Amino acid sequence: MRIRLEHVTHAYAGSEESAAVQVLDDVSLEIAGGDFAVLMGASGSGKSTLLNLIGAVDKPTAGSLFLETIDTSVLDEWHLTMLRRMTIGYIFQFFNLIPTLNVFENVAFPLSLAKVPRGEVKPRVAAALADVGLTNRATHFPSELSGGEMQRVAIARAIIHRPSLILADEPTGNLDSKNGEMILGLIRGIFETRHPTIVMATHSEHAAAYGDYVIEVADGKVSRGSGVGSRGSDRGNQGVPPTPDPRPPTPPSK
Amino acid sequence: MILRALVLRPILREPMRTTLTILGIAVGVAVVVAIALSNQSALRAFQDSVDAVAGRANYQIVSDVGLSEDVLLALQPFWGRGVRFAPVIDLEGIAEVPAGLSPAPGALPEQLPIRLLGVDLLSDLHFREYRYASVVTSSHESAATYLSLFRDDSVVIPATFAREHGLKLGSPLMLDIKGIRRSMIVRGLLEAHGPATAFNGAIAIADIAAAQASFGLAGRLSRIDLIVPDDSLIPAIERILPASARLERPARRNERVERMLRAFRVNLFALAGVALLVGMFLVYNTVLISILRRRRDVGVLKTLGTSARQIFGAFLLEGFVFGLVGSVVGVALGRGLAWLILRMIGRTINALYVSSTPEAIVLTPGIIAAGLAVGTILSLLSAIQPSIEAAQVRPNLLLSAVVAGRRRPRVRDSAQTTAEPASPNRPQVVIAVICFIIAVLLSRLPAWNGIAVAGYVAVLFVVTGFSALAPMIVTAASNLLRVPYRAAFGIVGELASASIPASLRRTSIAAAALSLAIGMMVAVALMVGSFRETVRVWVDQTVSSDLWLRPSKGLSNADAAAFPNAISADLAKVPFIAAFDRARGRGAAYGDATITVASGDLDVAARFGDLPMITPRSFSEALRNAVARDGVVVSESFALKYEKGVGDDVTLTTILGRHSFPITGVYRDYSSDRGVVVMNRALYTRLFRDDAMNTVVIYLKPGVDRDSARRQLEASFGPKYHAFAVTNGEIRGEVMKIFDQTFLITYALLAVAIVVAVLGVINTLAALILERTRELALLRVLGMSIAEVRRMLVLESSVLGLTATVTGLAMGYVLSWILIYVINKQSFGWTIAFHTPVRLIAASLAVTFVASLVAGLVPSRLARRIDLAMAMKAE
Repeated sequence: MRIRLEHVTHAYAGSEESAAVQVLDDVSLEIAGGDFAVLMGASGSGKSTLLNLIGAVDKPTAGSLFLETIDTSVLDEWHLTMLRRMTIGYIFQFFNLIPTLNVFENVAFPLSLAKVPRGEVKPRVAAALADVGLTNRATHFPSELSGGEMQRVAIARAIIHRPSLILADEPTGNLDSKNGEMILGLIRGIFETRHPTIVMATHSEHAAAYGDYVIEVADGKVSRGSGVGSRGSDRGNQGVPPTPDPRPPTPPSK
Repeated sequence: MILRALVLRPILREPMRTTLTILGIAVGVAVVVAIALSNQSALRAFQDSVDAVAGRANYQIVSDVGLSEDVLLALQPFWGRGVRFAPVIDLEGIAEVPAGLSPAPGALPEQLPIRLLGVDLLSDLHFREYRYASVVTSSHESAATYLSLFRDDSVVIPATFAREHGLKLGSPLMLDIKGIRRSMIVRGLLEAHGPATAFNGAIAIADIAAAQASFGLAGRLSRIDLIVPDDSLIPAIERILPASARLERPARRNERVERMLRAFRVNLFALAGVALLVGMFLVYNTVLISILRRRRDVGVLKTLGTSARQIFGAFLLEGFVFGLVGSVVGVALGRGLAWLILRMIGRTINALYVSSTPEAIVLTPGIIAAGLAVGTILSLLSAIQPSIEAAQVRPNLLLSAVVAGRRRPRVRDSAQTTAEPASPNRPQVVIAVICFIIAVLLSRLPAWNGIAVAGYVAVLFVVTGFSALAPMIVTAASNLLRVPYRAAFGIVGELASASIPASLRRTSIAAAALSLAIGMMVAVALMVGSFRETVRVWVDQTVSSDLWLRPSKGLSNADAAAFPNAISADLAKVPFIAAFDRARGRGAAYGDATITVASGDLDVAARFGDLPMITPRSFSEALRNAVARDGVVVSESFALKYEKGVGDDVTLTTILGRHSFPITGVYRDYSSDRGVVVMNRALYTRLFRDDAMNTVVIYLKPGVDRDSARRQLEASFGPKYHAFAVTNGEIRGEVMKIFDQTFLITYALLAVAIVVAVLGVINTLAALILERTRELALLRVLGMSIAEVRRMLVLESSVLGLTATVTGLAMGYVLSWILIYVINKQSFGWTIAFHTPVRLIAASLAVTFVASLVAGLVPSRLARRIDLAMAMKAE
């Protein structure tokens, strides 16, 4: 899925006591479909906000943000919801599994939202769990898992509905190095086999190496980083005014 | 899946929260169901009795002063037009039965209220069905078998009544009807069918001629039952009736009783409403807490593509599930409670309103549906606001905890609000002030149809006003307590007082619910305490005579039992009596309602007695005027209900037809809320042809010893008139006993509200602990002991308890003002002087405060179970 930001500004509203906080300032950016982009920046630089905007969980205060040809800045809540439901997969720093659902149910959740026929759900969840090596944990609840296992469940959940865009916010931020390595390997593996667009926020140089290229975020501005990706290709045209893409949006079930 | 994630699994995984919430709703619903059931049962018992006694009659000719048999002659021409009629004697009286099934020799017989039904046993079969279980027969059965029933001393009683009291065919049965005592013989037993089922079987049936002869009623009838085939005949029948009689459907009596009980029922339902309101707070709190606790999950679900509508639906369903399950449990619980209530209010209703024993409780589909609907709809309503809030949770705040924790939200965010230092909330103060102003305006409105509707709504507004202020009060109280708590309990005390405002939304709702329950409790304690004190002063003033002579022991039988007029001559001969006042009271129809027409020797009362007057000041002037002008004095409730005062006339139906009486005084009376009209005995006996008396008030000559006078009176009047002499102290004691019994149910209902509120506090604190697992674990890791954590939690609940107690006390005073001066005055027509029962209020506040501490103890046990490693690891 191609991502295009045009002069995006984002601010959090202030209150009686405090002024509004501007987090992103006139950001233009393009990430091509099938890229593995890494957002890097210090805490408070605005990378999580950028991720929220790309992930259609928030709308820019000004400017436009296109996912393929869809301008998310003009969508209402319902259409944003549908966009998230059908085309985006999320991996969070704190895993964010639903504590009341077991592993199988957590992974199956996006399918149930998409109203996938019951008969289809079981084999797809089983396959996803096999992909992340958790077949034997299907009936366990999140509280019974280790951190690495929880993140693997989150990855299975993020890919189960075959999204064309996967967003990962500090996916290893809460894990030890061994588990972090495994998770990054899994994400890279998914990228290689399924070819979704992946945007990963991190402040670890090591984690950034798993992507194709880096977009630096600092003080609400983005700038082109180095092409450190393991694929070695630097296809990014960060900071460059985007050009229209003639390709139609990817169907969610692809 | 959304349901499973947000609602169903949490319901199962948090059994304590689920149980407490369901219990809270169940208790609220149970109270409503129980009151509906017991009301229905008490009323239906009376209706069934009326119906059973009325039989197939579709009309009745009735009169408050009795009917002459001549009416039957006047009815003869209608026989040819298909009208059937049956003369009836229907009187309340007392039956003396052996005490217990095997009475000890010399034991006093038990006195039971009984209904004497005198009918023409031959022709009455058109109207009522009698199934004889057995009849006294002569040695050989013949056509004359039933003739024994027509003897002057024969009665037929239900077989069940006979069995219960050890009576058999041929047993003597002493009846006291209108002061005339006759020993009758049981000559027939009836199966439980038709009239034999009325008044729980406490009915004696005699041939009408025998009844008239035995009880001095020759030529008189209580009423005539009619079967009128065609309503077009009604005007013609009405034309032949004497002025004192009226033609009405038997159902009219049911309507009168229903009207009489209405204010009483509304009052009970209003109290049940308090329990339900507290239950609503509980549901609101539970759903809100579950939303606050699952905000993160909600955010994740929304990020993953769950729509706002789905989230709203899920939480609304949670409210619905709690409501439905709670209501089902509540209906079952209510049935049990109804049984208990019936035992308590059954007495009140009997003592004050109608005489019939409430029967078995029947859970009708209507009541089940109403109970389920009330609980489910109210919890659904309570869940709406928090569910909307859940639906509005923005996904972006929850992608990571860092973002959520740092940014000030763009949309309203309750998780954030909880962490804010609570500043005085202007809109809430405005809401509160508006509510209080509306309450004041409402409390000035008059009653609607005899019900203090505006008063009840004013109560709601006061409650809403105080609830709006709850967050402010909780914050202020916590800030006030911080210093003393720190001084007394160190850092644990400071942490405790600081943590309450930190989770203001949750804690203020719990505090509001508890304040409401305490407020209502204080209000009712003040109201009942004031009422009790008022009645005590009134009784002291009114019951000023030395001795009372009564035909029965208990007060509740007083109306049914009576002395014959013959006792007057005998009393006049007693040397140590200075004067006596013969009191008589009876129910009479007045418009659509029933009032009490009473009589006494007003000249004696004016000289020796005392009566608290409203107008004129002097009771003796009012009474003397009444005697001189053939007038009446009326009770305050009568004056208020019918808007009459001194100088107006009261028109009553007497034996001579409609008669107007000038009102010469209005006096305070707390014995009945139906309104009392009192006239001089001479006037009463002339106009109502009734010379019996229920009580003789005796004034002794100076220097006469009361105890010896009492012994002498009982010795000489006991055997002859079955008289009991009681002292004024005993009468006062008995009145206060009845008073306390009457308000027992009130206290019971409030206790229920308190229980529900305490459940709410436990629920809130338990939720807070679960939510603060990490924080508590951190405190433990930093070196706080389990005991200290528990102490902190109990101190937290003490902050809530103290806040609620103080707020409840303030609310209680406001509410009691409305209860005393608006609701009570409008519903019952009683003026009550304000009085604070200090000890009662102090005791109840202490109980609720301790209960709130206990509420902190229960969830603090959860603190022990926190797994430090897990809690610190899990986000």
